[in-house]
Amino acid sequence: MKKLYSNKWVILSLVLPGLFLFIFAILAPICLSVYYGFTNYSGMGSYQFIGWENYKNLFHDAAFGTSLRNSLLLALGFILIQHPLAIIVAAVLDKIGGKGEHFFRCVYFIPNVISVAVIAYLWKFIYNPDFGLLNNIIKAFGGKGDINWFSYDNAIWAVLIVLIWHGFGWGLLIYYTGIKNIDPVLYEAAAIDGATQVQTFLKITLPQMKPVIQVNVTMAVISALKQMETVYLLTNGGPGNSTQFAANYLYQQAFKAYKYGYGNAIGVVFIIICLLVTVILNKIFEDRDAKVKVKGVA
Amino acid sequence: MEQIGTKKKKKKMSRPVLYVILIIVAIIQIFPLVWLLDFSLASSSEMFTNGLLILPKKIQWGNYVKAFVDGNFLWYLKNSILINGLAVLLVIIVSIMSAFACRRMRWKLSTFVKTLLLMGLMIPIHATLLPNYKIYSQLGMTDTIWALLIPYVAFSLPQGLFLMTSFMESIPVELEEAAVMDGCGIYRILFQIITPMLKSSIATVAIMTFLNNWNEFMMASTYLSSDKWKTLPFSVLEFTGEYSSNYAVQFAVMALTAAPAVIVYILLNKHITKGVAMGAVKG
Repeated sequence: MKKLYSNKWVILSLVLPGLFLFIFAILAPICLSVYYGFTNYSGMGSYQFIGWENYKNLFHDAAFGTSLRNSLLLALGFILIQHPLAIIVAAVLDKIGGKGEHFFRCVYFIPNVISVAVIAYLWKFIYNPDFGLLNNIIKAFGGKGDINWFSYDNAIWAVLIVLIWHGFGWGLLIYYTGIKNIDPVLYEAAAIDGATQVQTFLKITLPQMKPVIQVNVTMAVISALKQMETVYLLTNGGPGNSTQFAANYLYQQAFKAYKYGYGNAIGVVFIIICLLVTVILNKIFEDRDAKVKVKGVA
Repeated sequence: MEQIGTKKKKKKMSRPVLYVILIIVAIIQIFPLVWLLDFSLASSSEMFTNGLLILPKKIQWGNYVKAFVDGNFLWYLKNSILINGLAVLLVIIVSIMSAFACRRMRWKLSTFVKTLLLMGLMIPIHATLLPNYKIYSQLGMTDTIWALLIPYVAFSLPQGLFLMTSFMESIPVELEEAAVMDGCGIYRILFQIITPMLKSSIATVAIMTFLNNWNEFMMASTYLSSDKWKTLPFSVLEFTGEYSSNYAVQFAVMALTAAPAVIVYILLNKHITKGVAMGAVKG
């Protein structure tokens, strides 16, 4: 048995495909990014090594600062708006049970299976000043309904609304699963003690959900950092750089502004930030519940 | 939620209140999609209205015909099914192999390799777009199926590996010991004994991989130039041209592009919900 299970060739044949994919699709590109990050390569032709120049420039780059601020805003939007709503709705779903429970759970997740390509274009129409749904809703409630949703000041909120809306079902489903895993004995005990539903929710559901909340919060922060697709199609970072996000910015710099070297430098810093944030959040939460492992959402 | 427990009816939370909450949230989540469907069946000239929904004078099925034909729907759908199917299959096979090697086989570097492979979870995909574009063009891989398949599998692998290892832990070692006694080799143990026991986790990994990649378009639009391997999102992304002012047809193409995933979700919704829940909670 032992001999069979430590046969080096067998082991190698089993891990090789996975290792190859990791090296070819993840590790090699990162090394290449580090390399190009030290150059002034435009994407074609020749280039020189310019040392830390790109990184120095990045430090003073207002657009990159805006990107990080926007990620922070999005993370706050997820944590302060999407998640509390998701927890409450999950608790309500659990309460009503039966067919309603399944029906609503299914309905809430539908936007999540639809491509960002469709979602972004759809919301462009929803925000349309001429026949858009949102302005028409405001009119229906007696407002003027002539808001330019993609103006310099409004655009970031328009983007946040779409992202919070689109990701709601995902957050909900995870909280819902967490609630389903709570031991029913706890609820029975609460009922015997005469607790009201709100008390039960605050004193039992929420504390029991702590590990799930921690995982969800970490995932929300990381997906806020990694945001690209929606913003790429909705505003492409504009107007100005008001809705810029790091991933979108590095893409623009490399392929639109022909600063491939600079784009890669942004990529390197971006990877480091993502790693650091994941590690820090894990450390913060680890102390309370050592069992919870957290991962990013690709 | 406020007016819930007066002392007399402690246990019965007023159900109408609960339903009102659920219905409001459902309207917020679904109404934009209803609006999309509604406008896709109208004609463009009817759209400039102040009402929320249009009652089309005549239902314009023609919009969908145009979307279907000029949106290259079938071609893109075929590519999506093929590429995602292959990606799912590869992720499952490779993650089972890696999980077994790192979890069950005895070698010094097993934990290190596992940690290394799981690192992929923390790397932002979009940071690899620039260097990968360079690599694929150097190797002449742009505009081939590999330019999508390799990154799709690579970025779904860490999650697959994570799920497979945690499920594999619950399989008793005694089973393998018996198989070894009977003279089974490692590959037979892995594929004929272990794999069939991983059914539910294979389903979970398949669902997560599908959800991750089905709607992906950033890599596809970076690494592909022709229509040859482009996937379903491109029937929306590349659909303007002669219809740039015909909004109704654009709505139809969006609805059509969304349809396969939504239909499959509604049909398999119990399994998918379970899969996502398992994947997310275990992961």
